[in-house]
Amino acid sequence: MEFDLENPFTSFVVVEEEQQQQSGTILDLFVSESDHMPSQNFTTKCLEEEMEDFHVSFRQEAVSLILQAQFSCNFEPFIPYLAVTYLDRFIFKQQIQIGKPWIVKLLVISCISLAAKMKNTHFLVSEFQREEGFMFDAQTIHRMELLILDALNWRMRSITPFSFLCFFISLFKLKDPPLTEALKERATDIIFKAHNEIKLIEFKPSIIAASALLLSSHELFPLQFSAFKASISSCEYVNKEKLLKCFDTMQQMVEMEEGFDSMSMSSSTRTPVSVLDYKCSSKSSVSQRTTAITATAAVMPLEKRETKRRKTNGFCSENRFQLSRIQQCL
Amino acid sequence: MEKYEKLEKVGEGTYGKVYKAKDRASGKLVALKKTRLEMDEEGIPPTALREVSLLQLLSQSLYVVRLLCVEHVDSSSSLKSTNDSSSKSNLYLVFEYLDTDLKKFIDSHRKGVNPRPLPPSLIQSFLYQLCKGVAHCHSHGVLHRDLKPQNLLLDKDKGLLKIADLGLGRAFTVPLKSYTHEIVTLWYRAPEVLLGSTHYSPAVDIWSVGCIFAEMVRRQALFPGDSEFQQLLHIFRLLGTPTEKEWPGVTSLRDWHVYPLWEPQNLARAVPSLGPEGVDLLSSMLKYNPADRISAKAAMDHPYFDSLDKSQY
Repeated sequence: MEFDLENPFTSFVVVEEEQQQQSGTILDLFVSESDHMPSQNFTTKCLEEEMEDFHVSFRQEAVSLILQAQFSCNFEPFIPYLAVTYLDRFIFKQQIQIGKPWIVKLLVISCISLAAKMKNTHFLVSEFQREEGFMFDAQTIHRMELLILDALNWRMRSITPFSFLCFFISLFKLKDPPLTEALKERATDIIFKAHNEIKLIEFKPSIIAASALLLSSHELFPLQFSAFKASISSCEYVNKEKLLKCFDTMQQMVEMEEGFDSMSMSSSTRTPVSVLDYKCSSKSSVSQRTTAITATAAVMPLEKRETKRRKTNGFCSENRFQLSRIQQCL
Repeated sequence: MEKYEKLEKVGEGTYGKVYKAKDRASGKLVALKKTRLEMDEEGIPPTALREVSLLQLLSQSLYVVRLLCVEHVDSSSSLKSTNDSSSKSNLYLVFEYLDTDLKKFIDSHRKGVNPRPLPPSLIQSFLYQLCKGVAHCHSHGVLHRDLKPQNLLLDKDKGLLKIADLGLGRAFTVPLKSYTHEIVTLWYRAPEVLLGSTHYSPAVDIWSVGCIFAEMVRRQALFPGDSEFQQLLHIFRLLGTPTEKEWPGVTSLRDWHVYPLWEPQNLARAVPSLGPEGVDLLSSMLKYNPADRISAKAAMDHPYFDSLDKSQY
């Protein structure tokens, strides 16, 4: 009864029929994924209209608290990922009271606690609270857990983009295991990043997975990109329009993050203006940059990229907001 | 729980009481399954969390009883000291309500005012739906482990069969006796389980499906044992005492003893009204060696179902 994000049902598989059964399972995942989204109305409504400023900043604060927890508790990255899926669904379903700053902390700690339970990982609530300066007693946290469970109707086996990776990769019919591995690894990396990008909340997990794989293939094997794109687009469960929209949003996100990365390596000034400069100049040399990223991705070991990702997460999202404000002024 | 009006207790499930109730808002009937939840200093037990959420995912299938929602009721009063971190509370699993089950349905065809066999096309349809539901559970890594006619609910009007009482394997351990000390039936239990094998495979459910198939045809149980030992003897008398040749490793199972050496009987004679294809499917479900037993998925493609219009399922 373990919980693996790549296979939300269970990790037990009947070996002899693995292939056949996967097709049934994947269909169920496509059917059920909307149950695991913050709001099913997102698909029709514009996200910015739906989300009040309060929600945006509330989520931002909560996500950054969850990421802090990842470092201080040394969690595997799936735990904070799961916690954020619970958080998102909860804040869109439940009225959050404004003016009670402790709520975000209580919600975060309870989401992490639930995620850790789902992943069968021990989470020392008291230790974490001491480090972060929280002071909720166990009863309060348990009551909050129940409130979250109730709001989420106990659907805690979140269907996430990770659940769809293997299925989409199988459509590519890749023959080379190391290439497949590299593709999956890069896509996983992008999916983790995408979780912090509020503009991507509106997309279904399967669309996020498909876009992340396309983006990785664009970086890693640009020659095969159009073939991959064709095979994903022809999949009956994938809405082509959404896929393209998601892909574009995701590409902008990655370009911006990579931009920050390369800047942080070359110079220490990180002002919104220089970001803007970078954005403009990068447009002219997309192909060059793509190859550069490919090289980086291939050379840099995963761990290092992981830490780099973590380091950039916090201020990237902050700067992104500043950036959009500046763009409005221009 | 004010949302529901409890109407009557309809049974003791393997894990607790089951009530028939009415959703006050919609007027719809539901089945409430009450389960005790032991909260400790960790709050909600992780196993309960993982299993209930698994049930949520699985009940998307048409052939599994639908879990509508989950209600948690804290039974500790507000007067109780808040320092007492362990509290007893109840979890109500709210399922769709179906008015009958396969046991009652078979009974109504055996006794009463109008005893008659089940129509062969209905047996075929119920068995197909059962295989489909079991295949669904197995493909998602879940073994039922307690399939029996009482656990198969029927929607008579639509001719639907749905699997109930599923999935709660570890957080709510399978008891040998139910809450009312009624003995849990052994009739559908696979021989490897009776012989003390600790390794459960999907084949344990297929054995039960085979027994249920035969029971629909016969209108009485195929192996009605009243103890584990008697249960094995019932099986051996019909299918022959298993040998190392047909089931390698059987004599090293924990509860293996020396049994009388019975010869296998003709299975067709136990299900006289069943055609040769049905008998062939039944015998592949009742293979001794769990590895030789047909899978639920393969059973759905068996020639026995060739005359069935599968498109409607």
